[in-house]
Amino acid sequence: MQFADFLALGLVLLAAASFYMGESALTGAEDLHALYWLVVGIVALRAAVQVARPAEKA
Amino acid sequence: MATVLERLSALGAAAQATVPGVYAWGVTVAPAAWAHGSSVVAKVASVLALLALAGGVAGERRWGGTARIYSLWGFVLACALTWSATPAAFAPLRIDAPRGIAGMIGWGLFALASAAPALQGRREEERITDDQPLRPRKGLVRGDALYLAFGALAAGLLQLFGWRVATPERALLVRFVGLAAGLGIIGAATEVALARHKKRVARPTMRRLRRAMYLLVALGLLGMTGLLFAFRA
Repeated sequence: MQFADFLALGLVLLAAASFYMGESALTGAEDLHALYWLVVGIVALRAAVQVARPAEKA
Repeated sequence: MATVLERLSALGAAAQATVPGVYAWGVTVAPAAWAHGSSVVAKVASVLALLALAGGVAGERRWGGTARIYSLWGFVLACALTWSATPAAFAPLRIDAPRGIAGMIGWGLFALASAAPALQGRREEERITDDQPLRPRKGLVRGDALYLAFGALAAGLLQLFGWRVATPERALLVRFVGLAAGLGIIGAATEVALARHKKRVARPTMRRLRRAMYLLVALGLLGMTGLLFAFRA
């Protein structure tokens, strides 16, 4: 495994934790916090997928 | 037991969908329609829903797939009418979590049975040829199951929220967000697992990081913004 693979895994974990926080905030009617954590989760997921993809030949 | 299953498999798809349909009706529609103080419209619509299911079984033999479609829509619309006529029955305090989960499973099974082709009975012996078992073209690499298990676990944990929210709109929003986030996590975990098997080129790490740089920068900015707000509060 390369460094980028570990980074991708870490980003998926970060996304899961962010969604967890976002849902928790949404349940407690803290909409701004929920929005923040959900956006962080989406960006982290997208970044994880981009990092995980193997590099193309130059 | 085997006879019942064989008989059921000999029937059409609408008949097979009746079993989970009646279960879903029994868990989610009947308690609402026959609750104390429910309207006549709800009761009539709930009975119509059952009749639509039965009509699908009878009509499938004569009209085939068309009867199945009418039966499906008739059942779903009659159930929706029942729920619309008894909105109080779905107040969060009157629905407990096990019943909610049982209802979700029932409707999921009904959707699956309605959409999938009918199960066939046991095949005739002479049409089965004994041969070497087929070899998979590619074996699964160890660790893929771990990625998928992690994705499924994270998605499952997200479903624990929102069962005791007082407002129905917020409860629905929490459910919807939880489902969407769960699907996203499972999808991303699958992509990360599959990406490990693709061919690699030399010195790929910097190229991969460069491609995701704008997202990583956005993530960093979001993190800093969050820290700033946390310290200000």
